[in-house]
Amino acid sequence: MNLALGRAGVTLGLAAAVLGVITVGYGLVRKRPDLVRLSRWYAALVFLGGFVAAFAMERALITRDFTVKYVADNGSTKTPALYNFATMWGALQGSIILWALILGGYLVAVVLKFRKRLADPLVGWALFTMLIVCVFFFGLMAGPANPFKGFSPPVGFDGPGPNPLLQNNPLMAFHPPMLYLGYVGFTVPFAFAIAALITGRVGEGWLLATRRWTLIAWGFLTVGIILGSWWSYEVLGWGGYWAWDPVENASFLPWLTGTAYLHSVLVQERRGMLRVWNISLLCATFALTILGTWITRSGVLESVHAFTTSSIGIALISFFALIVFSTVGLIGWRGDRLRSPGRIDSPLSREGAFLANNVLFAAFAFVILLGTLFPLAVEALNNDRVSVGVPYFNRMTMPIGLTLLFLMAIAPVLPWRKASAELLRHRLIWPAWIGIGSMIFAVIVGARGFIPVLAFGLGGFAAGSAGRQIALATRRQGWRGFVGRANGGMVVHLGVIIIAMAFAASTSYVRQAEFTLTPGQSAKFAGHTLVYEGQNVKQESAKIVDQVLIRIDGTGPWAPSLNKFANGNQTIGTPSVRSTFTDDVALSVIDIKDGENGSVTIRVTVQPLIIWLWIGGGVMAFGTLLAVFPGRRRNPLDAVSAPLSVEPPKKPTGVTP
Amino acid sequence: MSSLLAKGSPLRRWGPWIAVVVVAVGILSIATFGTRSAPTAQDRVSTISRSVKCPVCSGESVAESNAPASQEIRRQIAEQVQQGQTDEEIRSFYAAKYGQAILLTPSASGVNALVWILPIVAFAIGIAALVIVFRRWSSMPAERATDEDRELVDNALRAEADDIDDDPHGEGASR
Repeated sequence: MNLALGRAGVTLGLAAAVLGVITVGYGLVRKRPDLVRLSRWYAALVFLGGFVAAFAMERALITRDFTVKYVADNGSTKTPALYNFATMWGALQGSIILWALILGGYLVAVVLKFRKRLADPLVGWALFTMLIVCVFFFGLMAGPANPFKGFSPPVGFDGPGPNPLLQNNPLMAFHPPMLYLGYVGFTVPFAFAIAALITGRVGEGWLLATRRWTLIAWGFLTVGIILGSWWSYEVLGWGGYWAWDPVENASFLPWLTGTAYLHSVLVQERRGMLRVWNISLLCATFALTILGTWITRSGVLESVHAFTTSSIGIALISFFALIVFSTVGLIGWRGDRLRSPGRIDSPLSREGAFLANNVLFAAFAFVILLGTLFPLAVEALNNDRVSVGVPYFNRMTMPIGLTLLFLMAIAPVLPWRKASAELLRHRLIWPAWIGIGSMIFAVIVGARGFIPVLAFGLGGFAAGSAGRQIALATRRQGWRGFVGRANGGMVVHLGVIIIAMAFAASTSYVRQAEFTLTPGQSAKFAGHTLVYEGQNVKQESAKIVDQVLIRIDGTGPWAPSLNKFANGNQTIGTPSVRSTFTDDVALSVIDIKDGENGSVTIRVTVQPLIIWLWIGGGVMAFGTLLAVFPGRRRNPLDAVSAPLSVEPPKKPTGVTP
Repeated sequence: MSSLLAKGSPLRRWGPWIAVVVVAVGILSIATFGTRSAPTAQDRVSTISRSVKCPVCSGESVAESNAPASQEIRRQIAEQVQQGQTDEEIRSFYAAKYGQAILLTPSASGVNALVWILPIVAFAIGIAALVIVFRRWSSMPAERATDEDRELVDNALRAEADDIDDDPHGEGASR
C-alpha cells in the first residue's frame, strides 16, 4: 500500500515535471502564452507528487511497514516517535524525498507569487528551469536513489533503526529540513538568473523580483548550518562544534558565495554594474549546493557525517557539470548585453567596500573548496594520500576572517560613490573607541594573545558601526529603523560578530583533559571542580543508557552517558554540557571499566563563550526576518550618495576606450 | 603651539585617532607580550592530538575520536611530552610511522605545497584584478549629464511622485 502510493507519487511528480518542461518550453519557443500559463498546473502536480511520496514514506515509517526496503533498512519498532519521523531524512533515499518535496513547495510558491505574470517570458523560463531541476530530483527517486524499493520481511522482522548518532538529539528533526530549505531555496534566484540570460532581460528586474527569495533561502541556510554545528556539539562528544569536515564545508560553501551575492547585488541595484559577476555568484551558489550534495552523499570524502554512501555520485556530478557548462555558455552568449557602462568612482565608497567584500568571500570559499577537495586531487594525480584538517583551515581562514571584521566596521558608514577621510574620521571614531573598550575589557578578564585580542577589538569596532547605523535609523524612523534590508542587515551583522567573537574565544582558549576517577573522587580543571558521584543505568526502548553522574562546581549532577543500542553493536557516547554565559564545561565518557570499583574515564572540555554561538545564530535569523520585512520606501529625492563634483573636467573628455 | 591645537588644525582633527592607535598598540602589546601561563603538558597533548588524524576512523582527529587506537595514541603522546620531545618531533614520529596522511596539516613540500600557495596566488589575483578595474574606471571620463538626461530624470521623478509604483513588474529602468 505505502509502496504503491509512494511509487505513484514519484511517478506523478516525474511525469508532471517532464510534461511541464516540454509544454512550457514549447510554449515559450512558439510564443504560446496559453501553454506557458499551464505551468501552474504542472507545478501543483509536481508538488502533489512530492507530497504523496513524503506522505507514503512517513506513513510507512510510522506504521513500521517493513515491506518498504527503506523502512526495513532504517526503521525499527523501538525507535521513539520523533526520531522515527526524522528517519525520512536520515538516509540518502529519504532525504531526496525531502528535497523533492521542498522543491515542489518552492515551485508552487513561485507560481502563487507571480500568478499575474505567468505568461511573462522571464517567469516562464524561470519556471522552465525549476521544472528541469524537478525532473532531475524526481528522476533520482525513480532511478538510482529509489526510496520505494520493495522488501519481503521474514516473520518477526525488525529493522536496525536509524544510525545511532541520528537518534540522540532532537535537533535532528530540525537541522536537515532547515538546511534543505536553504539549499533548495537557492533554486529560485538561480532559475530567474537563467531566465534573465535566456530572455536577454539582464537588467535589474529579475534581481528585484528575487531578492526576498534569496534572503529567505540564505536565512534558512544560516539557521541550518548553526543547528548542524549545535547538533554536532551536543552529540559527537569531542567538545567541538565545527571541525571543517567535508560535509560541514559543503554547507558552508554556498553560504559564503550566497553571502557575497547578497552584498554585491546591492551594487547592481544601485549602479547597474557587476552583472556578470552577480549572475556567476548566484549560479555558483546553486552549483555548490549540488556539489555539496555530491560530497555529502557520494562517499568520496571521509567524513564523520557521511551517513550514507551510494551510487548517485555520477548523477549528481553530471548535473553539477551541466549547471556549470550551461551557465558559462549562457553568460558567454549574452556577453554583449551584460556589459554595463557604469564605473566605480573611488575604492573608498560603499560599492568599493562591496567589491572588497566579494574578493574576501571568494577567497574564503576558494580556501574551503581547495582544502576540501585537495586530498581527492592529490590521490587522483599522484596516488598519494594527504589529509587537510582543522589546523590548515583555522590558519588559512583566520586572516580572511579578521579582514572581514575590519571591513564590517568600515563599510556600513561609507556613502555610495565616494567618501573622504574627513567623513570616516568623523563617523568611525565612536565605533573605534568601542573596539578599544572591548580590547581593554578582554585583557582585564584575562584574554592574552595577539590574534584573539585583535579579533575582540575588531569585533567591537564592527559592532560599534552596526550599532551606529541602527541608532541613526531608529532616531530617524522610529521602530521602522529596525526593519528593511539595510537595517535588518545591521542586525545580521551583530549576529555574525557575536559568532565570530565566540569562535575566536573558544578556539583560542579551549582546554581539554582526560580524567580517570573512582566514585567520590574529584578533579580540578581550568577553574572548575568535578566530583564523580556514581553511575546510573537506564533501560530505554531502543537503548541501554549508562550514565556517569558528575557534579560541576556543586551543580548537577550532570550525566554524560554511553548508550548501547539494542540493534547493532555500536556504543555511542552522549556528552553532557553545562552552559553558562561565560563558559561551557562539556563532559563525555570515554570508558567505563566493568567490574572494577566503578572507575570511569571522562573527557572534560572547557571553552569560553560557546553559548554565544547559538545566541548569535538567533540574532542572525532575527535580523534576516527584519530584512525580509518591507522597509521604508526611500523618498526618491533623498540624497544617498556623495554629491557629484561640480568643477568642470580639466581637459576636454577624450574618447572612451 | 597654539596653532597646533587651533580649531581645525590637523592635530586637533586627528588627535582622537592618534589616541585610538596608541591605545590599541598598547593593549595589543600587553596581550602579546604580557605574562601568561605557559601551556601545561595536558594542553600540549591536546594541541598535538588535534593535529594527528585518527588512523582507523573517518575524518576525526585523535583528540576527537574514542576509538581504542586513538586512545592509545593519546596516551603515547602524553608519554612523549613527558619525555620532553618537542611538538615537531612527536608529529614527525607519527608521520614516519603511519605516513604523511596521518597529519592533518599538510606538509609544505612537493605537491602538497600547492594547498598553501594556491590561496595566496588566488587572493593576489583577486587584488590585482581590483586594482586593474579601478585603474580602468579612473581613466574613464566622468559621465556628464546632458540636458536630455536631466529632462528624463525630471519626468521620471514627476511620474514617481504621482504614482510611486509605476513599475509593477519591478523591471527597473533599462540601462
